[in-house]
Amino acid sequence: MKIPGGDILEDQYPYKALYLHIPFCKSKCLYCDFNSEAISSNDEAIERYVDDLILQIRAASRADLLGSLDTVYIGGGTPTHIGNKELSRLLYGLSLSMHLTPEVECTLEVNPESLTEAMVKDLFALGVTRLSIGVQSFDDEVLKTLGRAHDAAQAKRAIELAQIRFTNISVDLMCGLPGQTKESFIASLKTAVDLGVTHISIYPLSIEEGTPLHGLMERQAFAETEDDLGEYAAEMMLLAQEYLETQGFHRYEVASYAKPGFECRHNKAYWTGKPYLGIGRAAVTMKQNYDERIRMMDSQVQEELSRPEYLVEDLMLGMRMSRGVSVKFAVQVDEEVPGALDAFKELIDSGYVKEVDGRFEPTEKGWLWGNALYGRLLELA
Amino acid sequence: MSIDPQYIRNFSIIAHIDHGKSTLSDRILELTETVSSRDMKEQVLDSMEIERERGITIKSQAVRVDYRAEDGQLYHFNLIDTPGHVDFTYEVSRSLAACEGAVLVVDATQGVEAQTVANAMMAMNANLEIIPLINKIDLPAADPERVRAEIEDVLAIPADDAILASGKTGEGIDDLLEAIVYNIPAPVGESDAPLRALIFDSYFDAYRGVVALVRVVDGSLRKGQEIRMMATNTTTLVEEAGVRKPTEVPVESLGVGEVGYLVTGLKDPAQVKVGDTITNAVGGCEEPLPGYRDVKPMVFTGLFPIDGDQYEPLKDALEKLSLNDPALIYEAETSHALGFGFRVGFLGLLHMEVIKERLEREFGLDLLATAPSVEYHVYKTNGEMISLHSPQDMPDAAEIDHIEEPYLKAKILIPPDYVGAVMDLTVARRGNFITMNYLSTTTVEMLWNIPLSELIMDYFDQLKSRTKGYASLDYDFDEYKTSKLVKLDILLAGKPIDALSFIVHNDKAYDRGRVLVEKLKGIIPRQMFEIPIQAAVGSRVLSRQTVRAMRKDVLAKCYGGDITRKRKLLEKQKQGKKRMKSIGSVEVPQEAFMAILKVDE
Repeated sequence: MKIPGGDILEDQYPYKALYLHIPFCKSKCLYCDFNSEAISSNDEAIERYVDDLILQIRAASRADLLGSLDTVYIGGGTPTHIGNKELSRLLYGLSLSMHLTPEVECTLEVNPESLTEAMVKDLFALGVTRLSIGVQSFDDEVLKTLGRAHDAAQAKRAIELAQIRFTNISVDLMCGLPGQTKESFIASLKTAVDLGVTHISIYPLSIEEGTPLHGLMERQAFAETEDDLGEYAAEMMLLAQEYLETQGFHRYEVASYAKPGFECRHNKAYWTGKPYLGIGRAAVTMKQNYDERIRMMDSQVQEELSRPEYLVEDLMLGMRMSRGVSVKFAVQVDEEVPGALDAFKELIDSGYVKEVDGRFEPTEKGWLWGNALYGRLLELA
Repeated sequence: MSIDPQYIRNFSIIAHIDHGKSTLSDRILELTETVSSRDMKEQVLDSMEIERERGITIKSQAVRVDYRAEDGQLYHFNLIDTPGHVDFTYEVSRSLAACEGAVLVVDATQGVEAQTVANAMMAMNANLEIIPLINKIDLPAADPERVRAEIEDVLAIPADDAILASGKTGEGIDDLLEAIVYNIPAPVGESDAPLRALIFDSYFDAYRGVVALVRVVDGSLRKGQEIRMMATNTTTLVEEAGVRKPTEVPVESLGVGEVGYLVTGLKDPAQVKVGDTITNAVGGCEEPLPGYRDVKPMVFTGLFPIDGDQYEPLKDALEKLSLNDPALIYEAETSHALGFGFRVGFLGLLHMEVIKERLEREFGLDLLATAPSVEYHVYKTNGEMISLHSPQDMPDAAEIDHIEEPYLKAKILIPPDYVGAVMDLTVARRGNFITMNYLSTTTVEMLWNIPLSELIMDYFDQLKSRTKGYASLDYDFDEYKTSKLVKLDILLAGKPIDALSFIVHNDKAYDRGRVLVEKLKGIIPRQMFEIPIQAAVGSRVLSRQTVRAMRKDVLAKCYGGDITRKRKLLEKQKQGKKRMKSIGSVEVPQEAFMAILKVDE
C-alpha cells in the first residue's frame, strides 16, 4: 500500500505532529466549507473509512514515520460523530503504532451533541489528553442561525461531561455572527470561563463562497451586511482580548487564548515550521528538509517552497503568535532573504509590529490588520 | 527602365469600419498570386499585432500587385490600404491623393454609414474615380438592392454597375480586378519634368533609418539621387528605391505614376512628413503638391508608470513609438499623486487606446492613464495665451480672462426613429444643432457643432447604446470657441488629487462632481480609516461622500491545510494591490482615474 507521507524528500526531518481527519458530521453547518459530509452515524462508510485509517497508520509506523511525534490531533468533521466503538478502534490501532504516552499531546475534536460519558472515559483511557469542543456560542438563537446540531444546554452538558476526566479542555467560540449582539458574545465568553475551560479559540465568521450562508448573505436574509459583520467581529475580538486577560487567559495566537500551561502544542507545531503528517481524506502533510518545504494532500503536491520562501513563511506564521519571532532569527533570515529586516523596520514604523526584549511582536493593529502584516512578509520571497 | 504609366492603376479601398476592407484586400493579393495562399495570413496588410486583433488599419500600406487582365496585358496595380478610422483622416486624405481611383466598399447588410459618406466625400474631393462594391453578399441578411439604392440616394454615385462581392468567398473579385483596369484612369505625369513625389506614409527602420512610402507624380526617382523634402527643407541621397510585393524589391528607378518605398538614410522621422513633396535637390520643381499640413494631436492624457521604476522604460518606449508615429507627441509631467510620467498627445481616442495597449503589450509596461483632456486656450488678464493640455496647469481663476475650447463639426447618420434620442444626448453634451437632412427614407444625417471635450467623454459609446448600435459618427475639427469652463478638483481624505482633476463647463460642474464622487465611493475599497471624497471648484465643495473605515482584515484560522490557502489569499490580495496606486495613505484602484469618462448624467 502507498504510505502517506513516505519519503520523496532526501534527508527529510522527522514528523513532529500527526493529524487524523474524520470527514463526517451529523449535519452540515451553514458556514462550513470544510471537507466533511453529513451521514448517519450507523453508515457503513464510517467503518470502512476507519479501517482504512488504521491500515495507513500501520503502514506509516512500519515506515518509521511515527517515532518522533510530540502531538496528535484528531479533527474533522466531527470525530465524535462516528461513535465510541469506531473511535476506540482507531485509538487502539494508533496506540499500538506509536508511543502514545501521557507526554504526547493528543487532542480530539468534540461536538456537544455526540459526546457521552462512556466516550469521555474511553477516550481518556486510550491516550487522549485534550478535548476541543465546538460550541461556537451559548446563545440558542445564534446556534439556530448557524445551523448547528446542538443547543446551549447540550454544550454546557458536554463541557461538564468532559471535565469528568479532562482539565485540558478547549472551547471554540465565533464572533461577528448574524443576529449576534455584543452582549450575547460576552455572555458566551463568560459561560465558558465560568465552566472552567482552560483554552478558548475565538473565530470571526468568514463567509466562504459556495456555502449556504454565502447565498443567504447575497439574498440579504439578515439585517447585517458582510461589512457590518466584519466590523462587529473586530469589536468582539477586542472585547474578547480585554475580558479574557482579566480572567487569567493570555492570547498566544491571533485566535487562541489559554490559561498558563494550556497552549495547544499541536497548533504551535503548525506555526513554528515543524513537519507534520496528515492521514485521511484531504489531510495535509508538510515535509521539510534544509532546502525546501513541501505540502501534500491526498498524495498530490500542493505547494513546494524553496528555502527563502519557507523562511519567510516561518516569519509570517511566527508573527501570528504573541511571542512573534526573535530578532536573532530575523537577522538570520535577512542574510538569506535580503530585505527582511527592512520589512520589519517598515512594519514597526507603520505600527503593525513592536520590538520587545529582543523579539518582534505584533501590536494591536498587527492583530486586527494581520493580512497587511503577513502579506508584507510573504512578498519578501 | 520605368514602367509605362498606361499600365499602372493606383487605387485605395475605402470603407466604414468593419465593412470588410481588409479581407477584400487579402483576396486581391491571393487571386493575383501576389501572396501565395500558403503565406496568407488573415489581413496581410494589417501587419501590426493590434491591428490584426482589432481588425483595424492604423498605418497606410502600399502593395504592388501584378495582374494579367482578360485583354492579355499585364497591369501593375498599386493598392494603397488606408487607415479606417476618423482619428486618421489626414493620413487617409494623403493616401487618396496618391491614387486615381477608389473602391468604395459597402456592407450588404449594414448599408451606407457615416464613414462611408465621409470617405466617399474625400475620394470625390480628391477627384478619384469611384468603383462601388457591395460586400458580404454571402451573408443571409445581405440586401444588395437596398444598399445599391442607398449608394445612389445618399452618395449620388451611380451604382447600376456596382460590383457584388464577398471578401470571404472570393466571389466577384474577378469582376473587381477588371473594373479596376477599365474604370480607373492611368496616371498622367511628365517624365521629363523635375521630380515631384508625394510622401503618403513613413516609418522608422532601426537599420535603415526613415523609409518613406511615395507616389511619383512627375520625373523619376533612383538610387543615389540627391533629393529634397520641400516642407522640411531637408536634402539627402536616396539609398534605395523599390516596390513592395509585399516583400520589398529594390528597383532601378520609380517613374511617373509609380508607387514604392524610398530608403532616405535620414535618422530623424520629423524630417520626413506625411504629405510633403520630394523633388530634386538641384533644379527641383517650383510648387509642391497641394494639401500638406502639420498633424496636430487633439486629445491629451497623462501616462504614468504604476511602478516608479518603469519611468525610464516608458520614456524609451514612447521615443521608439514616436519614431513611427509623428502624430504622437509627449512631454514629461509630474503629478503629486502619481509621480513622474508623461503628458501624451494623440489624434483621437482610438489612437490613444492603441498606443496605450502597445506600450503595455510590446514594452511590458504597467501604466495608469488619467482622464483624457483636450487643448484649451486660456487667455489671461495680462494678455498672455496658454495652450493648456493638463488640468494641472490651469492658472488661478483670478488670472483668467476667458477660456476657449475646441469644437468639432460632427456628422451623425441614423435611422429616423433615433433623431430624438440623439438630440437629447447631444444637447446634454453641449452640442449645437446645425441642421438635419433626410438622405433617404431610412437614413437621416444630423450635423452638430460639439465641444471635443464632450465627445471624448464616452459620447460614442452612449450614442451607440442609445441608437441600438445604428448610429455612425464622423467628425472634423471646426474652431475654438469661448466657454465658461472651470477646473473641478477631487479631494481624497482632504487632499486634492491632481490626477483626478478635470476641466468642465460651469453649468455641469455640480452634476459631474456629484456623480463622480458617488462612482468613486464604489471604486475605492474600504481601508483602515474613513476616507472622505469631495468634489470642489476652488474652495467651494460641490459634493461629498465617505468610504467607511474597515475595522479588521485578518484570517483567524491557520492550521495545517489552511496555510496553503492563506498564502494564496494573501498573494491574491497582493495582486489586487499591484493594480492600486498609493496616494498618500489612500489606496486608489486604477479604474478611479478613468471613472470620470463613464459619468452618465
